[in-house]
Amino acid sequence: MTGLILQVNDLMIGYEEALTPALNFSVGPGEILVVVGDSGCGKSTLLSTLAGVNPPLSGEILLGGKSLSGVPIHKRNIGLVFQEPLLFPHLSLIDNIGYALRSSGESHSAARIRATELLDWVGLSEIAGQKTWQLSGGQAGRIALARAIAAKPNVLLLDEPYSALDPGTRLRLLADVKNLVTREGIPTIHVTHDRSEAELLATRTLTW
Amino acid sequence: MLAQHLPRGLKWLWVFPAILFLMFLIYPIIKLAVTAWSTEMLNEFTDSTVWRVALLASGQAVLSVALSLLIGIPIARVLFNYHFRGRGIILALVTVPFVLPTVVVALGFRSLFGDVVPNGLLLVVLAHAYINIAVIVRLVGAQWSTLDPRMEVTAATLGANPFRVFTSITLPALRNSIVLAASVVFIFSFSSLGIVVVLGDGSSTRTLEQVLLRSTSVLLDFPAAFAAAILQLVVVSLVFVISARMSRNEPRAKVVLGRKQISGRKSMWSVRLTCLVAMIVVISPIASILWASISSSGGITLQWWSELASTSNTRIGSPIAALGRSLGLALGTAVLAAVLGGAIAIAVMSKKGFVVSLALIPLGISAVTLGLGILLAFSRGPLDLRGTGALIPITHALIAVPIVVAVATPSLRNVDPRRYFVALTLGAAPMRAWWTAFGTVFGGVMLAAGGLAAAVSLGEFGAATLLSRTDSPTVPIQIARLLSKPGESAFATAAVLSVILMFITMTLLLIVDKIASRKVFT
Repeated sequence: MTGLILQVNDLMIGYEEALTPALNFSVGPGEILVVVGDSGCGKSTLLSTLAGVNPPLSGEILLGGKSLSGVPIHKRNIGLVFQEPLLFPHLSLIDNIGYALRSSGESHSAARIRATELLDWVGLSEIAGQKTWQLSGGQAGRIALARAIAAKPNVLLLDEPYSALDPGTRLRLLADVKNLVTREGIPTIHVTHDRSEAELLATRTLTW
Repeated sequence: MLAQHLPRGLKWLWVFPAILFLMFLIYPIIKLAVTAWSTEMLNEFTDSTVWRVALLASGQAVLSVALSLLIGIPIARVLFNYHFRGRGIILALVTVPFVLPTVVVALGFRSLFGDVVPNGLLLVVLAHAYINIAVIVRLVGAQWSTLDPRMEVTAATLGANPFRVFTSITLPALRNSIVLAASVVFIFSFSSLGIVVVLGDGSSTRTLEQVLLRSTSVLLDFPAAFAAAILQLVVVSLVFVISARMSRNEPRAKVVLGRKQISGRKSMWSVRLTCLVAMIVVISPIASILWASISSSGGITLQWWSELASTSNTRIGSPIAALGRSLGLALGTAVLAAVLGGAIAIAVMSKKGFVVSLALIPLGISAVTLGLGILLAFSRGPLDLRGTGALIPITHALIAVPIVVAVATPSLRNVDPRRYFVALTLGAAPMRAWWTAFGTVFGGVMLAAGGLAAAVSLGEFGAATLLSRTDSPTVPIQIARLLSKPGESAFATAAVLSVILMFITMTLLLIVDKIASRKVFT
């Protein structure tokens, strides 16, 4: 359990003009906040802003009561999974999953042990030797999720991560996400345009 | 977005290639223009010589384009429409002539035709068509493979015979790629040097590039050289403009239905025959060189190979010394081009388009013009580089840069910048995140740039002729000199050097191809 709460106060996001009204919400350990909305309404921009890729127009983002303003992306410990898995093609599956642990200074062997556990958890230990481009969409999605949570992020952000997959695979992966978040107690924000996904996953939903 | 988050050390790195291009490309061109701009230069345009050469070269180039299309289109049809065993090998084979050094191709044709076809227009046009088959096959074939074959079927059901289907449906649909391929072949043939020096007759086959080289290295007539360079640039630009105008602005075809299995006896024979002809056409000159390198009037011999280190048989310097020199220059070129390639890669990623545009300038300027500019700019004053041996590698690296851009840019554009952000969210420091997201591609671009530039350098003839000292020729110069000498020994030594050059060039390009096709780049 990370035990931290993500708090957003009067947050305005966008590029030159605001894409949303002032947003106020909080996400606690093990909660899944599902943001539902049509394409272009600013859902992905919200996640980019929380991760530190885009600066907010105004308002504040607090994690465990501390402001994230000025904290660079790589020091926030916020996991982000995009719609595509974006695995690092020159790294093995184990090294992809262990990447964040190596970044935080863990030894190679410690990172491998944790990565192997996670590979087993996502049910892909038997394909550990495969290259990233040999994976199916569903397998790559599982690896991306394992990679994002390997270093126990303070918050997990999911940007329609499995929308390109077939419905059966998508539902299985979303069930994995729900299990994981509850088990690890990670505050999670999931954005989607699909209301059925929201019903399946959400502790709470947010729309604007 | 990416540019804002780039590691601090990389944000301004694009300035480095920009400075290099300003120094070694723009400054030499300005220096050349300032040196040669005079009333004498303008008078060259009232003299009929440059115009006559331009007209002759245009005629020769038109014939080369026609023959290239005649040979290339049927091969493109077979290779990009049918699925059959050995297709990949034939496609690789037709690409070989394009990557061979031009003097090697020239030697192949001289060796193949002997005294049957004397030096002149026919041999020059044949050699140009041979080199450019790959341009036609690759460009036209790429568009052909995207055409929806159901269009042809529809035309046939409306009563069109195969010839009418081809002329009224297929050919118009291929128009853009044919225009583009024809322009590339025209420009190549119009500004040809190595081929016309070795296979030309000195009158009907002259090109402006030849005038430029002779004016600079023999007559020391810079105004005449500059006039030829300007006229060549104008014609090349004009061809580019005409080609762009002739191309229809069509949306890119999205239909890729895959290649057909060969059905019917007639199709099978047409595919077999085309492949056989393609193989014979491509292999004959190469086989002829190989044969010339191991044969003499007395039969098969390894004498020419064993005498490679001696100078006695040619009286124009040791062939092995020329080989060592060429390899040294290729290595220097490779290092320079790798640095430039890496810097251009960063410029592409930083969206500094003008640096990429600068890198493409050598496309419009001939090798000899570039070499002349570099010679004028860096042969005196504080930046006298003559004694350093750097002038040829610098020129060769610049000549290779547009090819590097063409090869590297698609790989770089394929890299999703979000991988960088993913690495950052996983806690990697900016420099490590950058290396994780782009390092492999970046390293690959540098290696490929180095390999391509080394291959270009090994075969380059024009600029090397201008910039190398008479007593220290490169291999292509040595081959051309040997071919101008009478006797079996000189010809066979040239053939041996050509075989070695072919082997090294092909090995380099295979390595580059291996690097470029690695899956980690996508």
